[in-house]
Amino acid sequence: MAPGAAGDGPQIPLAPPGYRLRRFDDLDSTNDEAKRQAAQGAPDGTVFVARRQTAGRGRRGRSWESPEGNLYASLLLRPDYGPQQAAQLSFVTALALADTVRAILPAKKRVELRWPNDVLVKGRKISGILLEAAPGGGGLDWLVIGCGINIVSHPKLQERKATSLAAEGAPAPALDSVLEIFLKTLHGGIARWEANGFAPVREAWLTSAHGVGRPIVVRLPGETLRGTFSALDENGALKLELAGGGERLVTGGEVYFGRGGETQPAQNGAQG
Amino acid sequence: MSGPRVDADLIRELAALLDETGLSEIEWEGEGQRVRVAKHAAAAPVAREPVPEQRPAPPPAAPAPAMDDASHPGAVTSPMVGTAYLSPEPDARPFVQAGDTVAEGQTLLIVEAMKMMNPIPAPRSGRVAQVLVSNGAPVEYGEVLVIID
Repeated sequence: MAPGAAGDGPQIPLAPPGYRLRRFDDLDSTNDEAKRQAAQGAPDGTVFVARRQTAGRGRRGRSWESPEGNLYASLLLRPDYGPQQAAQLSFVTALALADTVRAILPAKKRVELRWPNDVLVKGRKISGILLEAAPGGGGLDWLVIGCGINIVSHPKLQERKATSLAAEGAPAPALDSVLEIFLKTLHGGIARWEANGFAPVREAWLTSAHGVGRPIVVRLPGETLRGTFSALDENGALKLELAGGGERLVTGGEVYFGRGGETQPAQNGAQG
Repeated sequence: MSGPRVDADLIRELAALLDETGLSEIEWEGEGQRVRVAKHAAAAPVAREPVPEQRPAPPPAAPAPAMDDASHPGAVTSPMVGTAYLSPEPDARPFVQAGDTVAEGQTLLIVEAMKMMNPIPAPRSGRVAQVLVSNGAPVEYGEVLVIID
């Protein structure tokens, strides 16, 4: 779809210093637009925001329902660090999303993080993150951090229950104020991570982590692993103490909490 | 950590460092063992020695298989610890298979770490000789993923 630039919305004072906002009414997905613009030379700090996505997606080809009213944004970075470090931004972004959600929701709501980067409110997923990178010059040419926040609506899923800011009692959450808070929080989080490294991020993430020390099921294309989520390693990989003994470092796949992995993976239509 | 097993991951990591830095030899000592990885003209043999000994690395006659792959000029290695995906989506066809001809820059596979998707491009045009990882397999930094002839 040809990107239709939206000049109609209020130009908000939203972007932190160094970030440049590009707003659209409709995009296939903000990540796809960010990737196209990255290939055309768009600079570090460009943020792509769409009112609607016609082909929003999560990891491994899953679709992400994208009706108007929710936030769909992707930040383009031109990193001077490599992919191993860049993956830590998954956690930096999750923390920024969690702080954004906390800032907007009534204070008593329980906000948790599910490995690696889901934000849960009372156990229900309220946002999604997908990072995509392109190697280049021995490191990364660019990195795109895509985020969706359910503001006014959420999909009704059998598995992996979802929620939204509105459903959790946020008083009339406006897209622009959510975007403004989120970008400011993310910008600050990335700057602190660049200055102080991953250790404080890891600590902060663990403080809000859901399910550490509990049984989990990890589904990978070739195998299913069962065990206990014992720890987070220094790069953010999940340490899995296998039920049959031994340990595995988990860096991908689908993680389900509970002994049987009560929630089943969906082939399609799931936000994940 | 158990027993005097060959620590293939350590050796791979050292071998990757060797390539990255352009050094001809790296020696690492710790946990009661010493490992030296050295690179000679034709291949990159690996010597693992008990601590007290100091011998030159063996000649490149019988290099470890992994190092054989790593020393292949068409070896494509993983830039990160992660999980390999051979297709863009679960039900899609693999990006490439052995025997395929690929163009420089074409995606060979994806390595995921913590929901960051990292497509691995072909460093040059050629024919895919081998895909050395399976779908969903954990991969180490520096591990050889694909060999292009």
